[in-house]
Amino acid sequence: MSSVSATIQQVFNEPGCAKNQNKSEAEKKKGCTKQLQPGGAAGGCAFDGAKIALQPLTDVAHLVHGPIACEGNSWDNRGARSSGSQIWRTGFTTDINETDVVFGGEKRLFKSIKEIIEKYNPPAVFVYQTCVPAMIGDDIDAVCKAAKEKFGTPVIPINSPGFVGPKNLGNKLAGEAILEHVIGTEEPEYTTPYDINIIGEYNLSGELWQVKPLLDELGIRILACISGDGRYKDVASSHRAKAAMMVCSKAMINVARKMEERYDIPFFEGSFYGIQDSSDSLREIARMLIERGADPELMDRTEALIEREEAKAWAAIAKFKDRFKDKKVLLITGGVKSWSVVAALQEAGLELVGTSVKKSTKEDKERIKELMGQDAHMIDDMTPREMYKMLKDAKADIMLSGGRSQFIALKAAMPWLDINQERHHAYMGYIGMVKLVEEIDKALYNPIWEQVRKPAPWDNPANNWQNRAIAQMEAEAAALAADPVAAEKARRAKKICNCKSVDLGTIEDAITAHSLTTVEGVKTHTNASGGCGACSGRIEDIFEALGVAEPAPADPVLAEAARRAKKVCNCKSVTVGTIEDAVAAGASNLAEVTARTEAGSGCGKCGERIEDMLDELVAPLGTPAALVAAE
Amino acid sequence: MPQNADNVLDHFELFRGPEYQQMLANKKKMFENPRDPAEVERIREWAKTPEYKEKNFAREALTVNPAKACQPLGAVFVAVGFEHTIPFVHGSQGCVAYYRSHLSRHFKEPSSCVSSSMTEDAAVFGGLNNMIDGLANTYNMYKPKMIAVSTTCMAEVIGDDLNAFIKTAKEKGSVPQEYDVPFAHTPAFVGSHVTGYDNAIKGVLEHFWDGKAGTAPKLVREPNEKINFIGGFDGYTVGNLREVKRIFGLMGVDYTILGDNSEVFDTPTDGEFRMYDGGTTLEEAANAVHAKATISMQEYCTEKTLPFIANHGQEVVAFNHPVGVKGTDEFLMAIARISGKEIPEELAKERGRLVDAIADSNAHIHGKKFAIYGDPDLCLGLASFLLELGAEPTHVLATNGNQKWADKVQKLFDSSPFGQNCNVYPGRDLWHMRSLLFTEPVDFLIGNTYGKYLERDTGTPLIRIGFPVFDRHHHHRRPVWGYQGGMNVLITILDKIFDTIDQNTIVPAKTDYSFDIIR
Repeated sequence: MSSVSATIQQVFNEPGCAKNQNKSEAEKKKGCTKQLQPGGAAGGCAFDGAKIALQPLTDVAHLVHGPIACEGNSWDNRGARSSGSQIWRTGFTTDINETDVVFGGEKRLFKSIKEIIEKYNPPAVFVYQTCVPAMIGDDIDAVCKAAKEKFGTPVIPINSPGFVGPKNLGNKLAGEAILEHVIGTEEPEYTTPYDINIIGEYNLSGELWQVKPLLDELGIRILACISGDGRYKDVASSHRAKAAMMVCSKAMINVARKMEERYDIPFFEGSFYGIQDSSDSLREIARMLIERGADPELMDRTEALIEREEAKAWAAIAKFKDRFKDKKVLLITGGVKSWSVVAALQEAGLELVGTSVKKSTKEDKERIKELMGQDAHMIDDMTPREMYKMLKDAKADIMLSGGRSQFIALKAAMPWLDINQERHHAYMGYIGMVKLVEEIDKALYNPIWEQVRKPAPWDNPANNWQNRAIAQMEAEAAALAADPVAAEKARRAKKICNCKSVDLGTIEDAITAHSLTTVEGVKTHTNASGGCGACSGRIEDIFEALGVAEPAPADPVLAEAARRAKKVCNCKSVTVGTIEDAVAAGASNLAEVTARTEAGSGCGKCGERIEDMLDELVAPLGTPAALVAAE
Repeated sequence: MPQNADNVLDHFELFRGPEYQQMLANKKKMFENPRDPAEVERIREWAKTPEYKEKNFAREALTVNPAKACQPLGAVFVAVGFEHTIPFVHGSQGCVAYYRSHLSRHFKEPSSCVSSSMTEDAAVFGGLNNMIDGLANTYNMYKPKMIAVSTTCMAEVIGDDLNAFIKTAKEKGSVPQEYDVPFAHTPAFVGSHVTGYDNAIKGVLEHFWDGKAGTAPKLVREPNEKINFIGGFDGYTVGNLREVKRIFGLMGVDYTILGDNSEVFDTPTDGEFRMYDGGTTLEEAANAVHAKATISMQEYCTEKTLPFIANHGQEVVAFNHPVGVKGTDEFLMAIARISGKEIPEELAKERGRLVDAIADSNAHIHGKKFAIYGDPDLCLGLASFLLELGAEPTHVLATNGNQKWADKVQKLFDSSPFGQNCNVYPGRDLWHMRSLLFTEPVDFLIGNTYGKYLERDTGTPLIRIGFPVFDRHHHHRRPVWGYQGGMNVLITILDKIFDTIDQNTIVPAKTDYSFDIIR
């Protein structure tokens, strides 16, 4: 297991991941994803994460080494699509039994690999480790190695047993496995200056095929898609691509970053969800390819294609304007992804009345305000009855959400459209957005939603749980309004950290008593945010509410050092100080800063921040402001 | 030889052998005056055109593939719903064999029914003797508690008077004077099986309530709290009536089901042959006059019965074969209102489950177009359910539907944005439907077993809901009424939708990239 834990540590230290980099050492050790709360409802395990990440490789035989549970529950459960081989859908498992658990399952595994190769002759066999064989000490790496030597077919161990952590970690471990055993092991038949990799895209519902024709038209070749509709050989020779796009999910950031490190393949983080995002991504692909030696006329063709496709999509969406007049949408998806669809929804004439910010960062919250105005409802850790009231007040006509939020919608008797993974429509690319709008139209106008909203005709609406809950809430609010002592007590009793059960009062007292200024400090004194860490944003809000300023160390030298140490580019780990120095040394635009410091050459997200810094530093006076400050 | 004694092939395989194929080809070539295959193909294609449709719809006299049956079928269906009652059809025995086989093939149960076996001499001299002998024989052989008489066309054409004939037969001692022999005139050249249902159930009630054809005093209504329930002609009678009883039981309603044939069409295999089973007792049928109200699930099956009951001072409420949330809501609300009972939590939960199920699956049904044919009430119930699901009942056709019915369907269309492009076709047949399916295609066809020809010819997948369903077993055991019944209909529709998707994606290495486990 030592190699697995080493790999896991490596994944946690992933420099490409901004989130990881902003964590303390102690937090990093705990891992990059939310720690599982015993007793809580949990998502998939690391095995599942690894399997869904690689399963879309279509010509590979995916062999699950373990008891029936693992493959039995996950066989062919994803809506990925293949344009060729269907062997990825065949459920291969060693289905180990009690004897294997006692005497070890390695022999069975070896024989299973042998039989797959004899009977199916796939270009490769992927062997997935699961909890039981990992616990009894089956060394799948050794078995795979022996099998490969004996049969001459690549046999790839995917070491991601369920117990090492959650799904997201499994995605990354899968990435590590192909980095170690697959990528760079073969050579493509030919290369072109127009070869790209797409990383972290799974071709769910065949989405990739809505974008691929556009790339084909531009003469851009997807050398390898990791892993949607992928082929083993393509992935094995993907190290010859000129550039890569990492699809916005962070699942495979380690693959993108390490391929850049090892094979000099620059990547950007992009998305084909939404019209603007699709255009941006196409532009970025063209820009990167041109930078890597493709003919610059590619950009002209790209622009022309974008213009044509955008016009087509907007025209198709505009048709819905009449039908969407005065219709209100509530978006509950968390995360950044949702922003890519907002523009399309607004273009179609839908009014956005609220969104969830549970998983959003501060910047996300700002963007929400920007896009939707100050009074956008933000739904953050609400109780169901609060949620109901909010939905009722917002008078939304439909809620767009990920699968898990559907229950909220049902409680609030709200029409609901799933826009996350368990869906059956492809929303990617320009056509995808039109499809999404079509589906919203369907959902909005389906008569069942009216039925969902109505109580049974014999119900006394005054007496249903929703109205009782609201009445109770109002009564409680009124009681508190009349009694300031109780109100204060209730305010202070609000739970901030759910894992460690720390309330607002305790934190406020700690802040005042110890003059705390950082989340870290609050954690030391109250243990709040010592669990999953999700409440750190809320604690920051408390600081803001109490009027505690940003941490301001008394020593100006230390303060300056802290200021300069703040990271601007997370991918390349470049600090404010480094960039300021580069500007002082003569860099006057983004390209020059990137050339000197590497900042902005990763995902490219920090470009805007660097531009802002440049605006400030390359002052009208021509004297870098930082120098003035330093003197 | 393809056929030999060691391995006898059945018709599925036998005639596909080369010898038979050759023989059939020769026969066609030499004796059948074959047409140019290209010409046949041209005509076949032409029959799919709007031009042909116009000619088809201009048909005045000929009915091709009717979607209806005859009155006595409905009368027999009613009769077996009463305790130890045998249906006695006065007329030719061939007709009666049809009713028996029709019901047997649908319910997969024996169907007992006798006829007065009129022959040519009876046609000339009247069927009185057949009635006298028939009643006597039936009474002696089958020991029924009641003989419910209806008629075939033959007796109607010559004008046999059932009232007088039965009276005479009783005088001649065929059956005892006080013995119950209700009757109804049910000529097939008027209306359809739903009309026969109406006449027969009215005949039974008239018999008990209005003085047994002058042999007893008329009953005086002493109103009580009971509710009478009439299901109408219904291929799902076994499942539906059981479901309705369960609902009444949950609500604590005191009820009488008039014509309860849910037992006789579903007898157990336990070593005992039940010629009669279950059914409304004769006492209940008589006492039904005192009920507070009568509810008919099918308006067009009780067009004469309900006014008759209303004239006896009861409230009457008619539905149109309600299917789905709204339909069941209205049904339950009516029951609750009349009985003063509350709708229990159990039913509220079932309602919630049906709403939930529809919400879960609505995306797959939304906007799909359906053609429906069947009895007038069933068409209304299904069309209303489809509108509730966000589907479009594009063509709604009833051979036995009249203009009044068509107006009602149109009103239903007008009530929903999903009904805007839908049309109703009263009095049309399945050959009209064939044209419609070609010229204005739909995604699915809902109808009885006979719809399989339309499915084959037009490629429109058939969802079997209706009567008769001969080629699928046991559908009649599942209710389509109540929220549970709505759930069954929903599942039946969804199954066909998903089967169709699977069929469209099943070719290996060609379309199977969408052949999914999860739908």
